[in-house]
Amino acid sequence: MPRESFQQELDRLIDDVLDLGKEVGGSLENMVKAMESHDGELAAKELGVDVRYKARGAEIERDSMILQARQAPVARDLRLLYTTQSLTNHLVRSGALTEHICQALSETAGAERDEDLEAALLEMARTARNIFNEGLDIFRDRDIERARDLQAKDDKVDLLYSEALNLIANPSETGAGDPEWRMRAALIVHYLERIADHGVDVGGSTVFLVTGERIEDAMRQYLEREIGRNGE
Amino acid sequence: METKKTREGRGVSEVSDERREVRPETGGAAPGGGSTLGMKIENLAAFYGSFRAVTDISMDIQANKVTALIGPSGCGKSTFIRCLNRMHEVIPGARAEGKVALGEQDIYAKNSDPVVIRRRVGMVFQKPNPFSKSIYDNVAWGAKINGFRGNVDELVERSLRQAALWDEVKDRLKESGFGLSGGQQQRLCIARTLAVEPEVILMDEPASALDPVSTQKIEDTMSELKKSYTVVIVTHNMQQAARISDYTGFFYIENMGDPGHLWEFDETEKIFSNPDRKETEDYVTGRFG
Repeated sequence: MPRESFQQELDRLIDDVLDLGKEVGGSLENMVKAMESHDGELAAKELGVDVRYKARGAEIERDSMILQARQAPVARDLRLLYTTQSLTNHLVRSGALTEHICQALSETAGAERDEDLEAALLEMARTARNIFNEGLDIFRDRDIERARDLQAKDDKVDLLYSEALNLIANPSETGAGDPEWRMRAALIVHYLERIADHGVDVGGSTVFLVTGERIEDAMRQYLEREIGRNGE
Repeated sequence: METKKTREGRGVSEVSDERREVRPETGGAAPGGGSTLGMKIENLAAFYGSFRAVTDISMDIQANKVTALIGPSGCGKSTFIRCLNRMHEVIPGARAEGKVALGEQDIYAKNSDPVVIRRRVGMVFQKPNPFSKSIYDNVAWGAKINGFRGNVDELVERSLRQAALWDEVKDRLKESGFGLSGGQQQRLCIARTLAVEPEVILMDEPASALDPVSTQKIEDTMSELKKSYTVVIVTHNMQQAARISDYTGFFYIENMGDPGHLWEFDETEKIFSNPDRKETEDYVTGRFG
């Protein structure tokens, strides 16, 4: 096949992005486990990952720039390079947010908690982790149908977000938990919502990679087709 | 863009009535005050004897835009553009079918004079081919034999300036055109084409034999030329097509021995970012073959 070495370089770049994604996914998994078991030590293991992920992201960006300069990519190759850069940014940001959450968990491991709020946080963390992993799978498999579904799954995170904020703003008179923990919980809620959004964007970027259309345009066309079909 | 003066303002009023009437007005302003025309091609097929080289070509070439034609060797790009100024038919046994309109005028209509068409739709070839004359005469000669009676010095200077060559040759206009570098010779040929004040300029791989600096000058020239002319360029350099053209047509042959087709035609931006057809994407990304 012509441009074999270029294709190999593109494949290597994709592998690098997926490897970074897997590592961030591993950090997210540890974060969820640390939340489930109140394990401050496990959470503390993730401190410092942000620097490592940023360095990896910078390497991917550099490789992508070199490929653009040397190979003058167009069409799907150009979309791929654009997508890998965008994805890398989402992955690095998710990693940084995960570290922030782990830091909060490690520093409040023994704190008294609001059970309802904690349950909402845990559900949110699991869902955000799943969305992140699914976004990465969608990119790996170029499965754009799932990208559309992923948008719907993010709605669940938004609901949990509202519920958690409501619990933070309206603590019960008994069992409201340690004030510092509540404050940290407010930040964790926000970070989890962002991680889920990054996961959705990873899936959405795949739609652009495959079709050349922004997911918003693709979704609009999909909805218009559905409305037309139902005669509404 | 609205300028709609006749070509008399461009100093060629001496042409016959028959030749003058082949000038519908659309498009933008040409440097001498005339108008620029687009072209409309419908169901064009070109033959060499019984061999059908290209078929079913329909496309609109927009006025004051650069249209690039790309595709693998032997797919009919050069044959196609030679049909746009009736150069194809000068090859023994070669002919074209279908309609090619310059503005509103069918250039293959019985009353269309091929000599007039070739002046109005000029051509620059792959290899620079200056005449064995001085730089000045290379530019002035075509205009003179076409009946130009205006100020020849002004015409030569204007044409050389438009071809971005004036500053390099203004002090040696009487020297032979052969003394110029390859890139300069090609720009001299562009100036020679401009001197007869065409509406459309066809370029068949005009920079393929040139070094990068000369290529860049030709490309810069094209960006300027499209303000006054309609430009069609055949190129094998994909990045060149992406850099300089507004529209791109991809020519393709499905099977060896088949005629070439216009496989995809769209805005250059679209062709090089998200083409509709797989074959186009394979070609522009270099995965072809």
